[in-house]
Order: sequence, then C-alpha cells, then structure tokens
Amino acid sequence: MPKRVAIITTLYKYLSHAQHMGDRFLIGYPHEGEWHKPDLQVVSLYTDQKPAGEDQSFDRAKEFGFTVYNTIAEALRCGTNKLAVDAVLIIGEHGNYPRNEKGQVLYPRYEFFKQCVDVFEQDGRAVPVYNDKHLSYSFEKAKWMVDQGKRLKFPMLAGSSLPVTWRLPDLELPLNCEIEEALMVGVGGSDPMDYHALEAMQCMIERRKGGETGVRRVQLIQGDAVWTAGDAGRYSKQLLTAALSRSDTPQGKTLVDGRTQDLLGNGELPKLVKNPAAYFIEHNDGLKTTLLMLDGAVQDYCFAAKVRGMRGYPSTQFFLSPVPNVTYSACLVSKIEEMFVTGKAPYPVERTLIVSGALEACLTSKLQGGKVLDTPALNVRYRAPKEPQHART
Amino acid sequence: MTPTFQLRRRDLLFGAPALALAAPPKRPKLAAICTVYFKHSHSQHIVDRFLEGYGWNGEHHHPEMDLVSIYVDQIGKTDFSKDRAARFPSMKMYPSIAEALTAGGSKLAVDGVLLIGEHGDYPKTEKGQVKYPRYEFFNEITKVYTASNRVAPIFNDKHLSWNWAWAKEMYDTAQKMKIPFMAGSSLPVTWRTPSVEMPLGSKIEEAVCVGYGGVDSYDYHALETLQCMVERRKGGETGVKWLEAYRGERFWTAMKEGVWSRELMNAALCRSHTLKPARPGFNNIFPTDDDLRRLVKNPVAYRYDHTDGVKSTMILFSGLVEDFNFAARLTGQKKPFSTQMYLPMPPARTSLANFFSPLVNNAEKMFLTGQPTYPVERTLLTTGLTAAGVDSLFAGQKRLETPHLSGIHYQATKESTFWRT
Repeated sequence: MPKRVAIITTLYKYLSHAQHMGDRFLIGYPHEGEWHKPDLQVVSLYTDQKPAGEDQSFDRAKEFGFTVYNTIAEALRCGTNKLAVDAVLIIGEHGNYPRNEKGQVLYPRYEFFKQCVDVFEQDGRAVPVYNDKHLSYSFEKAKWMVDQGKRLKFPMLAGSSLPVTWRLPDLELPLNCEIEEALMVGVGGSDPMDYHALEAMQCMIERRKGGETGVRRVQLIQGDAVWTAGDAGRYSKQLLTAALSRSDTPQGKTLVDGRTQDLLGNGELPKLVKNPAAYFIEHNDGLKTTLLMLDGAVQDYCFAAKVRGMRGYPSTQFFLSPVPNVTYSACLVSKIEEMFVTGKAPYPVERTLIVSGALEACLTSKLQGGKVLDTPALNVRYRAPKEPQHART
Repeated sequence: MTPTFQLRRRDLLFGAPALALAAPPKRPKLAAICTVYFKHSHSQHIVDRFLEGYGWNGEHHHPEMDLVSIYVDQIGKTDFSKDRAARFPSMKMYPSIAEALTAGGSKLAVDGVLLIGEHGDYPKTEKGQVKYPRYEFFNEITKVYTASNRVAPIFNDKHLSWNWAWAKEMYDTAQKMKIPFMAGSSLPVTWRTPSVEMPLGSKIEEAVCVGYGGVDSYDYHALETLQCMVERRKGGETGVKWLEAYRGERFWTAMKEGVWSRELMNAALCRSHTLKPARPGFNNIFPTDDDLRRLVKNPVAYRYDHTDGVKSTMILFSGLVEDFNFAARLTGQKKPFSTQMYLPMPPARTSLANFFSPLVNNAEKMFLTGQPTYPVERTLLTTGLTAAGVDSLFAGQKRLETPHLSGIHYQATKESTFWRT
C-alpha cells in the first residue's frame, strides 16, 4: 500500500509552487534519467485561495481521485475523525496575502503547520511534514514549528530548491573545511528571493569545521553604502569577482552587443545596480558571510568562498533551470519523497530555521536604517549531512 | 617574431609542405578569420573571449595571448568588429586573410589562427547545406603557411566543411603540413547535468542523442554530443559503416518498430530541462506517443552503425525539447547512462552563451602548447556523418554505405575535456 499524502497549500494554479511540486506526486518527475513515479498516493488537498478560472484544485482532484477539503483538519483526516494520512506537504507560497512593515509576505505557513500539529496531538499520531521555503516570516513562529517536530517526534524538512538543484560546476565544499569568508550574489525581490539566496549560501557554509554554530549579529545596508563597504573591505572583492564569474546573465553591455564582462573590474556594477543591498551575517564561530542582492547586474544565484587549503575561490552557480519545467523543483520533490518514504529527513530543518531567522533579523535591520543587530536568539547549532544532497546523478 | 616552425629540407625535396613544429612562443599572437561579427554570432562569442576575457575557474580569465589581427568576410549593418577594433587597438582589421595572417607583411606573423566560418549570408546547395567558406578560408591560411615556411595551430569552429571531400582535404593537409588542428562544437565541452564522463573503455552497445534544430545545422551538434561519448568506448572509435536518415511519418514508424532503443530515447528525454508540456496546466509532463506526434512536426533521426557494431542514433525533436541529451546502454548495466550537455543559451535563458568558454579554453591550450586537447578526427567523423545525413534525406531517406567514414579510427583522450571546474 502506498503511503497517503495530504497537500496543504495557499494556491494551486499553473506554475505556483503547489502545482509544480504537487503535480510531481501525481504524474511523476524526471529523476536520474528516468520518469520516476513516487510510490505515494495523494489522498487529500486543502487550498486556501481558489481564484476563479485559475484554480486547479478540483480538476486535479477529479483526474487523480482525491478530495478537496474545506479545512486542514478535514484534509488530514480525509473526512473521518482520525488522522488518515502518512505525510503532509505544506506549500504556503503564492496567493494574495498582506505584507508586514518589513516587506515580508505573511504566508500562513505557521498557521497551516499549527493546524496539522493540533490534529497530530488530538489524534495521538504524528507524520512527516515538509514545509516549502522558509518556515515563517517570524523566527519565533519558525522556532515553535521546529520545536513541535522535536516534541511530537515527527520528521520535518523545509526549504528552498536552491540547495538541492544542479550546480555549475558541481561543487561541494569538503566536510569540516575551514571557511575564511563566504559571499553570495542574488537577485529579485524581498522576501522571496533573498531567502533563496541565503539558504543557498547556508547549505555551503554549514559544512565548515565545527558545523553551524548560530548567528550572533546581522546588518542590512542599501545603496551606495554597499559599494563603500566593499571598498572598506567589509566583503571580499575577490569573492565578488569569483561569484560574478559564474554568472551566465550579466546585464548592461552584454545585452547590447553580447560581450563578456568583468562587471566589477570594468566599473559597470555600480551603474547597473540602482539599489544594491548587502546582508552581513556574522556567525557565533566568527565566520562572516555576505549576501549581495544585485538587481540589474545579473539574473542568477552564485556563491564563492575562501577556504583554507583550497586554491583560488571555490565558486559555483545554483542552476535555476528554465521555466516552465523548473526541473530544480523535481530535485526538491525527490528529497521530500525520500523523507515521506523513509521517515528520515535527508538534511536538517535547522538549516531553514537559521535562514528564516537571519532573514527576519536582516529585514529588521533594514527597517531600522541599517542598524547592526545582535541576535542571541539565533543560537541554532547543527551539523551538515555527510553526503552531498544536491543533484549530481 | 621569431620563426618557430621551420620547413625541413626533406619536405622541400619531396614537395610536401610538411613543416616541423617547434615550441610555441610564450605569449602567442593570434589571427581570427571570420565570416561575420554580429551580436551572438560565433565570432562574437569566440573572439570576444580573447579580447575581453571570460569567467573561468572563479576569476575573470584573460587568455595569455594576443589577438592581433582579424579578417571579417561580411561586414554588415549589425557588425561589431569595427567597434572591437576601436576598443582594442592591439587588434587590427585586414581586408584579406593573407594580410591578417601576415599583419600586412610578407610572412606569417601570428602563432595561431581561429577559423570561424559560422553565420553570414552564403548560398545553399541543392540539398540545403549552407556553403560556409571554411574550406576556402583554410586554403588561404595554408597558402600563407607554405609561402612563409612556417605553420601555426588552427582552431576551426564547428564542422570542417559542408562538403566531405573538402573536409577530408583539410584534414589531410593539416596532417601533411603537421598543423596542430582542432575543430568542433561546444557540446562536447560544455557543462553536463549531471557532470559525468563516459568511463574510458566502457562497453557501449547503443547510444542515442535527443536534440533539436535543423538539418545541416544542429544535427551536427547532436552528432558531436554522441561522438564525444561513444569515442570513449573499449577499442576507441572504429569508424562508421552506414547511415540511414528518417523523417516525418517514416520516423514515427521506425520509432514504433524499435529501430532505435525507446528506453534510451526516453532516458535522454528525462534529462531535458525544456520538455514542452504536452498538456495545458502541467509544467513538466512526460509525453505520450500521441503527444510526440502533435508536438514534433518534423522529427529527424540519423541511425548509423559503427564498424565495431555499436549503434548510434541522432534524433532532432524540434517542438518538444530545446536542449541536447545523451543516453547509452552499457553492457552489464541495468540502467542507461545518461546526461544533458547543457547550453546556457541566450537570449531567452541567459545573456551569455557561456558554452563558448570551455571551447575557447581548449583552443587556448592548443595555442599555448601546440597540442590539440582532443582529436580532430572526432570532428572529421561528425562532418562526414552530417553530410551523410543530408545525403540520405536527399536520397529519400535511403540507407547509405559510408566506406569513406569506416577508416576513421582514433582514441579518445584519457583526460576529460568538458567543463567541470
């Protein structure tokens, strides 16, 4: 008997996360050179917003033989009075939700998760939960979510597809390496895309000697101060050059005549990026990392680090394969399936917890005009999985 | 400039212009011989990387050589070669190939030549092949070599010539004159997802590439995709016995009859990042046979047998995919070996065609060492296969014996030469 899965989502329409991830459980997905059909059965769906003409919930339910329920509890119990699924997929991404003063979209991931936990508690059984993207816009809520997983002993997985997608090149930092500095370049709006970039960086730096030790201080600065900070050595320009060297999408003159560019060396970077942002994150073991959001300069996500004993600057691009296939989400679904089937999370949910918290703290710093903020609450310690988890086979 | 390649007395006596190869200079000078130079033309991609540098191994890499002269055959309204010559005064434009190679003097004045005969307005043969003047350019180059008693390495972009006899003559001339000669597509050297290499000495039974594009164009890239993998099999490349092309209805019949392995074709499709969704509302769904027929208006396959019995099939599925995917069955292995040769392709997906970076990097190595990094015989064979495919289609999809390709024997390089750092 295949295990039974409930999908709890904000929105199920074409190219929403629920569609491109949920569908893979229904129709399979490309994996290691095969069209893989998970040995899992989607039995119920809860969709929070069903815009007329776009919603696919009922079409999918009809075609694939499951039921759309009006509440999360009903979806988890499949209309009975007991938990009737073996795994829960929470996808609180896309849909019309308000933003707070920090610019974070208030997706109801915590609320969805809490309703699942309520059912688990009432029915005396808990099942694995995957939470798409960061756990919550609020670290406090995110922390509560992770604590419930520990308390009720159910496996949890969360996060972005960037850590598990293809890498160009296929770089994995050696476990227990000594990272001197790390830098990530990202693009896109806050808080969806800065989150992805932070989690991509986190999956690399968590492999350092001693593992992740937590974040003690953050600061987010914007505008020309970002370039001044670079001049002052606040982040390494060599690392920035290394990260940019991995980009396939330099803008500006490349768009005009196709030329390759050393965007930092040729002085174009400040001209292309109207509103740069630097997210400075200092870890408890002293490691300093920087995320540069460089809208206007490039359109991809690249990482670089200085690692003791490694020549040059290990660097890579997290490959976001093209729309509409977005095969990177197949890489993520494969990890979710693994947890649903084995009951073991292939990588720690603490990765997403610390990124949820660091992002919130950075956005608080931004709201406070770039204030340096101490973050004693982000004392999240964990170890990276031994084996690489990204797509490479 | 010190002459580094001296004509030997014996060669003069026998009339064969075989020129000895000495060590190349520390900082070689290069000439680029191009058909056109517009945005996203191959010349722009390749020559720009020598002028502007490019991202490589985590830095902005500048090749340790100087591109000092350029010849562009067709300078139209969209030309950027004048812009480049103005911005890089060390590169001079010349009105003829000979002048570009001699820097306006009487003797060869460069240590390496880029021959980029792709894009531009050239007539077509009755079979539909574009008559890019690679052979003509090559002859102009070797004329200068002969007159100067010196040769220099040549990198030829893409296949050697649309005309097999000419391609063979280019190869033979390079052999005779001992010109370090490299050619080919960027498919063999670009990123792979996953980043895997066919183990040297593999026992390959059958191989398939699923790509896209047109005949006498992207078919060649798909053939190079296949060849850079199958050449690593046990015994190396042994040449090709025959080729048969399939198109339209005959393609679908052949697919159904299992003329090529469906398992391998499907494995290749499962490596694609660009499967056209067969149903509205689904973003990534595996096509049924009916979907295939509906999405692919003009399917093309080249089925060919190598002389050692290995079966290869090149499939063009325009309308279904926009990438190049490879799969092979290896003796004793349950699952097919498969990967995608990934092209970051502008303008839809990227702004840079960075698959030219590993191609340039391999050419650079040859210019620095005088040693090609992979055998030109790969491209000689794919040149012949491309022409054979065109001929077979032109002859009504007839199976053509290819005795001229059965003698192309070579060994793959031990080291992988694709992009993975």
